Amino acid sequence: MLEIEDLHAGYGGPTVLKGLSIRVEAGEFVSIVGPNGAGKTTLFKTISGILSPTAGRIRFDGRDLLAVRPSERPHLGIAHVPEGRQVFPSLSVMDNLEMGASTAAGRRDWVRNRRRILDLFPILGERSGQPAGTLSGGQQQMVAIARGLASSPRLLMLDEPSMGLAPAISEQIFERLAEIHRDGIAILLVEQRVAEALASADRGYVLEGGRIALEGDYEVLSGDDRVRQAYLGL
Amino acid sequence: MPMAQLLEDVLQALNAGLLVGALYGLMCVGLGLIFGVMRVINFAQGDFMMCGMYAAFYLFTALGVQAAFGPYGGPYIAAILAGPPLFLFAWAVHRLLLSRVTGMRVTALEGEGHYAQLLLTLGIALILQNGGLFVLGSVPVSIRTPLSSSAFEIGPLLEDGYLTIFVNKARAIAALVSVAVAIGLLLFINRTRLGKTLRAAADNPQAAIYMGIDVERAHRVAFALGVGITAIAGGLLASSYPFTPYVGLEYVIVMYAGVVLGGMGSIGGAFWGGMVIGLIQQLSTLVLPTQLQNTAIFVVFLLIVLLRPQGFFGRSVERT
Ligand SMILES: Nc1ncnc2c1ncn2[C@@H]1O[C@H](COP(=O)(O)OP(=O)(O)OP(=O)(O)O)[C@@H](O)[C@H]1O
Ligand SMILES: [Mg+2]
Repeated sequence: MLEIEDLHAGYGGPTVLKGLSIRVEAGEFVSIVGPNGAGKTTLFKTISGILSPTAGRIRFDGRDLLAVRPSERPHLGIAHVPEGRQVFPSLSVMDNLEMGASTAAGRRDWVRNRRRILDLFPILGERSGQPAGTLSGGQQQMVAIARGLASSPRLLMLDEPSMGLAPAISEQIFERLAEIHRDGIAILLVEQRVAEALASADRGYVLEGGRIALEGDYEVLSGDDRVRQAYLGL
Repeated sequence: MPMAQLLEDVLQALNAGLLVGALYGLMCVGLGLIFGVMRVINFAQGDFMMCGMYAAFYLFTALGVQAAFGPYGGPYIAAILAGPPLFLFAWAVHRLLLSRVTGMRVTALEGEGHYAQLLLTLGIALILQNGGLFVLGSVPVSIRTPLSSSAFEIGPLLEDGYLTIFVNKARAIAALVSVAVAIGLLLFINRTRLGKTLRAAADNPQAAIYMGIDVERAHRVAFALGVGITAIAGGLLASSYPFTPYVGLEYVIVMYAGVVLGGMGSIGGAFWGGMVIGLIQQLSTLVLPTQLQNTAIFVVFLLIVLLRPQGFFGRSVERT
């Protein structure tokens, strides 16, 4: 579904992504792990179009994504849950979800999606009228994920959803991601909590210095000595 | 009874301040909408307002609004009708000019982007002023309505005839229309999907793009709407105050003072900011000569910027 080949991108200074290739199949759960500054967020920004690559290809359903305007990309079925949540602070929780449902599919499925979202995150129903900026970090993360789901995506990209959250809360988030995956939505997850991220995923990539250093399923990655030492602390 | 006289003067100034403040409030709402969503300092806002005043004037006199609605309702209809053409004009200005120096492409440029915006809006302001002078001439005009020379009398509030307040009818109705338009805009921003889209684009443009929101279009809507709203405020002002193509210069100060007072980027705050500016302006006439009215506003403006840059009414809007 998502195919990225030989991607190069940066912010005008030194190149951050240096020939990166990954793919995500429909309905798959793929995790990307890697150290700070490896270029994970940069990759997501390039997929969403906030950043233009200097070279390489991105295809979604066989279509050249780089030819699609950034604000049109979510309409193809890609939802981006950004690093640091980035909810709309002055909008109520429900209005945040409504903004997520800006895509045609999201509007069509709004009633069903909203029911599913409140099923996954009941607390958002209780807070529906509250400005999202006044919620706790964990709840804001739920809004950010729910807002992504409201667009009826086929691919949900999440950039460090557990960042800054208490272990119990981030565990809850990971459980919800597994449920979302069971609904048939493909997931591309960037995480620092490597053990959890790799355990839930069908496949994983290790991103280091703007390149894929290693690729494989949980067995392969957790069997690799470097991964065990650097990321799993084993 | 000098005490009663003083009280009467104060109440009269208060009344004048509230009436003109309601119009300033609406002007500020238009500017505040633009600033809140686009983060663009629009120097031309006063001159767009001047265009709105002339639009209302010509709609009223030459284009048949007076003939159709009479001298009583006509001025207000003309003021409201001045909104749509200015909306379209601003839409085109954004499409052709402003969008080149604003929006996501420019946010990456930081300071440099802002210089381009300042120069462009200043340029538009000069073109509108001088173009206006060329086309419309420098003779002051105003929309004439018999209502501007009649007043509601309140009082006498004291026995033996003291304390009567005169509320000018034309200004009172203009103030009510202004409040109604401001409430309408507030409902639009808070209740409709498009309104929420504008707020989302203001809150976090990058996340708005992630939602599939066309942020450039949101900016265009906000800019056009903000200009249209300020134009209506100008049209309402046009039935009480004579104006020339240079009128914008005077009111852009009023608008910035009001918006800054209201806390940069909050619509409700901008209205109250404008209201307070109107009150300060009118109350200052009690102690200062009339020519210094705008100096009072300027002093207040500077005091706000120095003492409370986040404003008095709005939340401080920091962007993530
Ligand atoms: N807006 C920016 N302008 C310039 N350089 C940037 C910008 N954002 C990130 N970088 C640089 O690009 C590199 C990759 O950053 P990126 O945010 O993609 O890393 P990351 O893998 O997401 O790290 P983290 O785990 O800390 O989120 C870093 O060296 C960073 O300093
Ligand atoms: Mg990151």
